[in-house]
Order: sequence, then C-alpha cells, then structure tokens
Amino acid sequence: MPRVRVVSRNFMEMVAALPAAKLDLLYDRHWTCQAVLRSLPPLGKQYVMRLLYVENAVPVKSLQEWAQPDALSKHQVAIDRLEQLRVILAERKKEVCYRMNPKFQKQLRQALSTGGGPPRDVVSGSIAARTPSLEDLDNYAMKQWESVLLQLVSCASDGPTGPQNSFITKVFQRAGLLSVPNEKESLSITDLGFQFLLMDTNSQLWQLVREYVTTAEDRGTDSGELIGFLLELGFHHVGEAYGVNSLPPALQKVLEELAALGLVQLQKGRSESWYIPTKLASNLSASLSDSSDWQSSEGFVVVETNFKVYAYTSSKLQTEILRCFARLEYQLPNLVVAALTKESVNTALASGISAEQIISFLRKHAHPHVSQRIPVVPETVSDQLRLWETDRNRVELAPAYFYDDFPTMDIYEAVVAHARDLGGLLYEDASARRLVVRADLHEDMRMFIRKQSSGTAAQRR
Amino acid sequence: MARNPTDDVSQVVLLLDVNPFFWGADAERLNGSVGITFDQYFQHALMFLNGILLLNHTNKIVVIATGSSTCGFLYDSTATENISESITSKGKTKSQESRSELITQSMQEFVSKEEEAVKANPDSSKVQYSNFSGSLAMALCYIQRVLREPLPHPQPRILCLQGSPDAPYQYISVMNSIFSAQRNGIPIDACVIGNQHSAFLQQASHITGGIYMKPPQPDGLFEYLMMIFATDLFSRQFLQLPRPVGVDFRASCFCHKKTIDMGYVCSVCLSIFCKHHQTCSTCGATFSKSNLTAITGMKRKAPPS
Repeated sequence: MPRVRVVSRNFMEMVAALPAAKLDLLYDRHWTCQAVLRSLPPLGKQYVMRLLYVENAVPVKSLQEWAQPDALSKHQVAIDRLEQLRVILAERKKEVCYRMNPKFQKQLRQALSTGGGPPRDVVSGSIAARTPSLEDLDNYAMKQWESVLLQLVSCASDGPTGPQNSFITKVFQRAGLLSVPNEKESLSITDLGFQFLLMDTNSQLWQLVREYVTTAEDRGTDSGELIGFLLELGFHHVGEAYGVNSLPPALQKVLEELAALGLVQLQKGRSESWYIPTKLASNLSASLSDSSDWQSSEGFVVVETNFKVYAYTSSKLQTEILRCFARLEYQLPNLVVAALTKESVNTALASGISAEQIISFLRKHAHPHVSQRIPVVPETVSDQLRLWETDRNRVELAPAYFYDDFPTMDIYEAVVAHARDLGGLLYEDASARRLVVRADLHEDMRMFIRKQSSGTAAQRR
Repeated sequence: MARNPTDDVSQVVLLLDVNPFFWGADAERLNGSVGITFDQYFQHALMFLNGILLLNHTNKIVVIATGSSTCGFLYDSTATENISESITSKGKTKSQESRSELITQSMQEFVSKEEEAVKANPDSSKVQYSNFSGSLAMALCYIQRVLREPLPHPQPRILCLQGSPDAPYQYISVMNSIFSAQRNGIPIDACVIGNQHSAFLQQASHITGGIYMKPPQPDGLFEYLMMIFATDLFSRQFLQLPRPVGVDFRASCFCHKKTIDMGYVCSVCLSIFCKHHQTCSTCGATFSKSNLTAITGMKRKAPPS
C-alpha cells in the first residue's frame, strides 16, 4: 500500500524540516533516535549501523564503495535522507566527508549496549491492578477511532449528528477533509474526505497526526517536543500505565487530545492520573518505517460476481463507508448485504472516489475465506467498476480555436500538416476547409498562417 | 533464491557455538589461540542482537546454543514478550534491559545441563566437536513453523557463529539440512572464529546464497557482525558484501566419516565411500570388482599438463 508510505514519509519530512537546533534537541533522547533510525530506508539503516563506531569523518568515495555500482541511486537516496535528518553531518575539507551526529551516535551506542530500558517509568503498585486488559484496550481504541471517523461520516450522510468534538472537527477541516462552513453551506465532507474514509487506519492516523502537529505550533505547543513525544509513544508498552505528572504541562494537554483519537487511554486516580498507550499508538510507529505495510486487519467483506457485497460487520462506521459506494439492501445483526449498482457507484465517483480506491478497499478488507482467492475481487466486478469510471470521462473538454475561410487548398493543407506536426490537431474537414486546433497553440498557428498567406501572396505577385 | 524480499523485516536465527572444549581452559592447547575470550564473544553477540532488534519494529530473533553434545533454545523474541508481561504484572521493571539478562540466565542453565550431559556420557572422540547438525536442524524447524503462519512473515535467515572444527560424522545430516534450507530459500550466513576454515559452513553459505566469513581479527567480532551480518536480505541486493574466496567441497565418506578428496561413489544412490565395498550400505546395490580396477587404474594416471 504505497499511500501509507507516502503519508508517513511526509511525517518524517516534517521532522527533517525542523531547524537544526530543534532536531539536535530531539536527539537528546535515545527513543527519538531509535524511532528516526527505524524510519530510515533499509540502506540508510545499514549505513548508520556501519558508521556507529567510526570516530573519524568518512569520505564520500568510501561510502560509495559500499553500494553495488547499479544501486547508486538507492545509495544516494539513503545518504540524502541521513543528511536531511542530520544523522550524518557533512564536512567540506578537501573532499566532502561525512561524520555521524555525535549526539545521535552516543544515544544509539548506549541503546545498543544496554538494550534501552523503558522510556518512562511505569506506574506501579495499586494502579497496575486497575489497568484494563489488552482486549478491553483494543476495543476501547477501536471504539474511539470509529467515533472519530463517524464524525466525518455523519457530516456526509446528514444523519443525526452525534456529539461533536470540536477539536477533531478542527483537525478535519484543517486537513481539508471537511469544508469550512459559511453562511450558505453547513459543515460537509469534501472529496478528500471521501477518499480518506477508504484509506487504511495507519495512513488515516498519520494524516491526522501530521495536521495535528502543524496546528500545535499555532496553539503554542512546541512542535519539536510534540514530535519527540509522538515518536517515543511507539516504544511504550501497550497496556501499561504511565504517569501523566512526569510530563511537561503542554504535553499533558496533548494527551487528552490523543485520547480522543484513541491512541492512549487516560485514567484519573485520586491524586495522580496516568495514560495507557493502545495498539494504535504502537502501530503508528511500526508503519513509520519504509517497509511495506505490516498490519493484519481482520477482513469482513465478500464480493460476489453478481455485484453483491456481504459485509460481516456490526460496526456503524463500516456500514457508513459501504454506503458511500454501494446500495444497502438489508442489515442483520452481524451482516450487511449491499449491492454495487451503477447509481451507487456513480454517486461515489461523483463525490471524488476513484474506482481503484473502491477496488482496493474491497480487496484490503476481504474476508479471510476469500482473501486467498486470486483475484480477491472478481474480475467482472472490478472491470465493471473501471468501465463505469471511464464512462464518466467519455467527453473531454479542451479549449480550442476554430479556423476556416482559407483562400486556397494549398494553404489549408500546409496549415493542417503544421498543426498535426505540433500534435494539436483536434478536427479537420477538408471539403469545407475548416480545422480546430488546441488553444495553447493559437499564437503559433496564427504566425504560421500569416506567413503562409503572405508567402503565397508574394508568389502570386 | 526464489523470493526477492521487498522489505527489510527479518527473522534472524543465531546459532551460538558454546562448546566448552573450544572455549574452555585447555582450549588453547587443543586449538591454538583464538584471539577472543568467551566473555567478549558472548557480549558481542548480545550487542549484535540488540542491534538487529533496533533496526526494525518487527524484527525477530531466536538464539540457539550449540554445545558439544546438546543444543537448545536460549531466547525467542516472540515468546519472551509474553514472559515479560507476566513479570511486570508483579510490579518489576522489564523490557530490553532484561533481554540480555534473560539470555545470560538461560545460557548458564544450558551450560550446566551441558556439563552433566558430558559427564554422563564421556565419549572423548566426539566431544571436541559441536552438535552443529542438531542446532541447524532446530533452526530450520523453527523457521518452517514461522513460514507456515499466515502472511506476512519476516524474511528468515540463519547466522552461525562457529568456533569448533567440523565434525565429519555429522556430514550427512548437515548436508541434508543445507539442502532443505536451500529449498526453502533460507540463506545461511557463517562467521567462523576458530583457526581453520569450516568446509561445512563454506558449502552451506555457498549453496544457500549466504555470506561466509572468517574474521582476520576475531577480537573485533562485533564490527564484523554489524558491518556484514546485520545486513538484511533486502539491502543485500544493493550492497557490496564479501565474496567467497574458495569453497572446500570435500565430502565425508559414509562408512568411516572421514573427510576425503577422492573415493568411491555408488552408481545408484551416489553414496560416498573411502574403501571399496561389495555392496552399497545405503541402497544395497552390488558392485563388481573387475571394472573398478580398470577405471581406478586410468584415474591414477597423471593428467597431461
């Protein structure tokens, strides 16, 4: 799933775009160093490991010798990435040398020899007994996340809107998933919003988190600190309580908002409160790495060749997502039966969802019983979906100029030939001496026609 | 190899040679100076394992100890996650800090068990060798189990840290393991610390497409491990790695388990013997003596230069 990578890489690009001083501050903690290491492309990771115990600066040429000659482009990508993230620092003496960022080097060496240790102290004793079981925590995370997405969906279906969390609505608006309401229109879901619904959880999360971090600056939270915390969150152990009080006050507020997204669960005791990271938080950092998507979600959809879709779900969210592109026929306690009809798919296409997105959604969420089948989505269905999409693009509009009234056939033919050479000829009618040419070539055509007619005029004279 | 990995998620099975006859007090008398003490060797291996787990969120490691007569699992990163959870419920601290401790602890248990096993069965002819075939087979079984789990699974590879010399009597079982590793596309990497090259491991890495290396300076073991053996299968497509200089393809005979350059091969089942036999002990085919002398006579002639 390339989209996950694009989105998560965007997040690391945001990290790379931090000013050098802030980035170095981030490398003061070895958790962020480890998270950054894991986010690197595979070759980059290897280079870090190789340079970890090298004290001197290494000339570019020696680094190049590590890679095979035909993999130099990959090598360069890795080196650039390392330099962007200030993992290696360039030194320009006689030739360019690279030295590893001493802070990063120190932290990683320590991590390597000790194996790390927990990022923050686990709240112990009486509280541990009150932490929820892993299963409860998963349910909590999923429920929380679904309610976030339902907010988006409820704007789409104009149905009864549930309790709106203004923070989440703001993030959605900021990401362009919800339109900003004005006098004429109320809050409504945008094209991007529809596409967003069909993405997988990790890319959805990353997109929201990214928007969230960009808004953080406006509200006075230090983005460096926030990014550091988000990267660190992945190393927390799922299902264990960590004390809130040890965090700086700015992050304490952040935690409440992360809890709204389902990344952590907050619990309050009498004197102190603590937070428990959920599976979503650990998945977040796992998907940070460049490797292909590494998540196994339980599928629930069976698509049949007769365009029927059986979805074994009782989740309101999944039903709403299905409703985006399929006509619901009936709903049983644990099963939704829907059909892909021309009308339903056309509505989806009209709201900006592409046929490919629908197919990939159906494929990704395929029920285990059919996920081994090749292809997962029957070809008749996927082909028909694509045909419906191309149906919409039958007529293509292109601005153009219409030329007629040519004095002689010779001039006309020369002009047609010229237009064809330029690749802009859209229509010609030799008997009536007319042609239509793309608008962007008009200046060129006019010059040519003028030259032609003056040339023939001179000849005639 | 059949599969081309698309990501760097790896499952590393480390075969750690802990043969007391190699590492022990009178090892120097037996094998000559190794250049690295067992303590260093063990520390380097632990740091290497930390490094592997550091590289990717989903990397998995398994450590198998190879003793002189036994072998056993020391550590499994997937299983210990559950163990550590039970530890924390008692309020103790846990996590990777305890990983090294866990491995050290199970190593001590293993060594004491090994000691008993050696005492119980003092067969001095075999003890100076490691039970390499046993641990290799264990590693393959483990990987087989991982591969049978539903997708996606990590890219498996085996790394042998070998010190003690090859045991000729294990030839057949080792070769069989190597071929099944080849069939499953599992590369076997080998890092040899002892004084002589290991023909088994040379063949293993040659056949399975792994890396064979005998570090010239064994006390810098960690650097070799990080530079070369930490490379995941995906990155290996793009990096320059040490190429084999030469492979010792010599076989051991089936009858006396001796390593031989030249011998007799059964024309039916390809079993190898160092002496002429009336019948093949593997498949039971009978050989006639008369043809043989003629052929061996021809073979002995010096090749025209």
